[in-house]
Amino acid sequence: MENIITTDSLTKRYGKKYVVKNLDLCVPTGSIYGFLGPNGAGKSTTMKMLLGLAKPTGGEIRIFGVPVEEKNRLKILKHTGSLIESPAHYGHLSGRENLQIICTLKGIPESEIDSVLKTVRMENQQDKKVKNYSLGMKQRLGLAAALLGRPRLLLLDEPTNGLDPAGIQEMRELICSLPERFGMTVLVSSHLLSEIDQMATHVGIINQGELLFQDSLESLHRHSRVRMRIRTTDDGRAYRLLSRAALPVRQDTQTGEVMLDSAEDDKVLRSGRLLAEHDIGLLRLEECQVSLEDIFLKLTGKKVSL
Amino acid sequence: MLLRCIKAENLKLKHSIIWSACIFIPIIPAVMGTFNYLNNVGLLTEGWYSLWTQFTLFYSWLFYAPLIALYCSYLWRLEHLNSNWNVLMTAPVPVRDVFLGKLAVIFRVTLFTQVWVFILYVICGKLCGLPGAAPLDTVLWMLRGTLAAAAIGTMQLLLSMVIRSFAVPIGIALAGSILGFLFMNKGWELYWPYSLMMAGMNSNKSEDALGGNLIPFLVSVAVFFAVFAGAAVMWLRKKDVKA
Repeated sequence: MENIITTDSLTKRYGKKYVVKNLDLCVPTGSIYGFLGPNGAGKSTTMKMLLGLAKPTGGEIRIFGVPVEEKNRLKILKHTGSLIESPAHYGHLSGRENLQIICTLKGIPESEIDSVLKTVRMENQQDKKVKNYSLGMKQRLGLAAALLGRPRLLLLDEPTNGLDPAGIQEMRELICSLPERFGMTVLVSSHLLSEIDQMATHVGIINQGELLFQDSLESLHRHSRVRMRIRTTDDGRAYRLLSRAALPVRQDTQTGEVMLDSAEDDKVLRSGRLLAEHDIGLLRLEECQVSLEDIFLKLTGKKVSL
Repeated sequence: MLLRCIKAENLKLKHSIIWSACIFIPIIPAVMGTFNYLNNVGLLTEGWYSLWTQFTLFYSWLFYAPLIALYCSYLWRLEHLNSNWNVLMTAPVPVRDVFLGKLAVIFRVTLFTQVWVFILYVICGKLCGLPGAAPLDTVLWMLRGTLAAAAIGTMQLLLSMVIRSFAVPIGIALAGSILGFLFMNKGWELYWPYSLMMAGMNSNKSEDALGGNLIPFLVSVAVFFAVFAGAAVMWLRKKDVKA
């Protein structure tokens, strides 16, 4: 199976408002798929639909190669672990007792509890009542619960929310280790680009319910290569000249700025020569790095907290 | 799978307040009923049976259904808080068993309550100086009253699942019980779940309210159970989970 999750024009509408619109997700097996988007973009709703917690108003979902519908519900849930919204817990019970409940529901031996507690480094707090846990501890307990039964697929909704920097780092390392250690596929959502950049192998960017980008992280990085900004005595002519010469140039419609989408020596050299040959004076030749933040901003049209 | 759900629900009840409610609340109607009996002992001449009328008057009119409602509200409150709905509904168990698992726990606590109420009845009888043992009839009525919890329990569990408030379903149970008294007096007790329970318990009566005719009573309990349980499972299947 190449893709562990695929969705086909997945849609969720409340009244006239589309929360998720025609989403075609492809999560490759064994990947860490970073599901990126600003708050309210539809990430949680999508994940809830994948888990059957919310019912799609349109489209289809396939997980493990079978459609998400009533008759496959248990088969899918059996191999899926999840941490959605804030971490679920029963406050009057200890961490261990909370995990016992999950074990019972999943029908797996309680001996697994020790190993997941060790994985999330919670052995020492397991007998404390969860209502006295910090948010970070609750988050880790939630992850431990999701890991019980060694699911093939893990859905984590903003798992680093509420963690301190050390906790974020730890959670990140833990998530990164899961595919290799347990053969899991992880779908992890975040509104932080830097976070996804450090964890994911694949990225899907969603904004206002629509998928704007989906590919490997490498491919996203390819978008972020260096470019050259060119200022001349006549930008308009310069642009026409260079584009006729089949150089990868663009002109910003508002500022009129000319941009060469490449920093390769021969292209820069040719551009310079052409300009000189046609008596266009070169004023500036600047190298600029397009960061992932810029791409994200361009795709979503929104400033995001990074 | 149902067994797993029941086991999980039992785990959730560890260190919970539900048991203290189950112990302490029935003492109130027991005291009220016994005082009423003692104050009217001149009129109430049938010994154990008379005590039963007073005892169950308060218990089944004002306490029994609200108490079950309290159990149900408590059980669902655990899920309404802290996003537990998400975990509950992503557990690899059929939604039917999620509901029935909770119902089984409600029945267990209710059974426990009824046994305790009966013990209180015997204790109060003895304290009032009644001779001999409690009549066998009262054991039967107690059992019937417990059976009626299948209707009330299912309905309250449905209400507390849908209504996120803790108190509103209990208020409904109280109002339902008070109305149930009217239904009972009209002879319509089989058509209203809250009066069904009073009829089962033979509340405030020393003669059998059902006239020994158990079948319609059982049918009514079964119908209410099926309707409410069916509605609950449908709701769980169709509605989006709000954690």
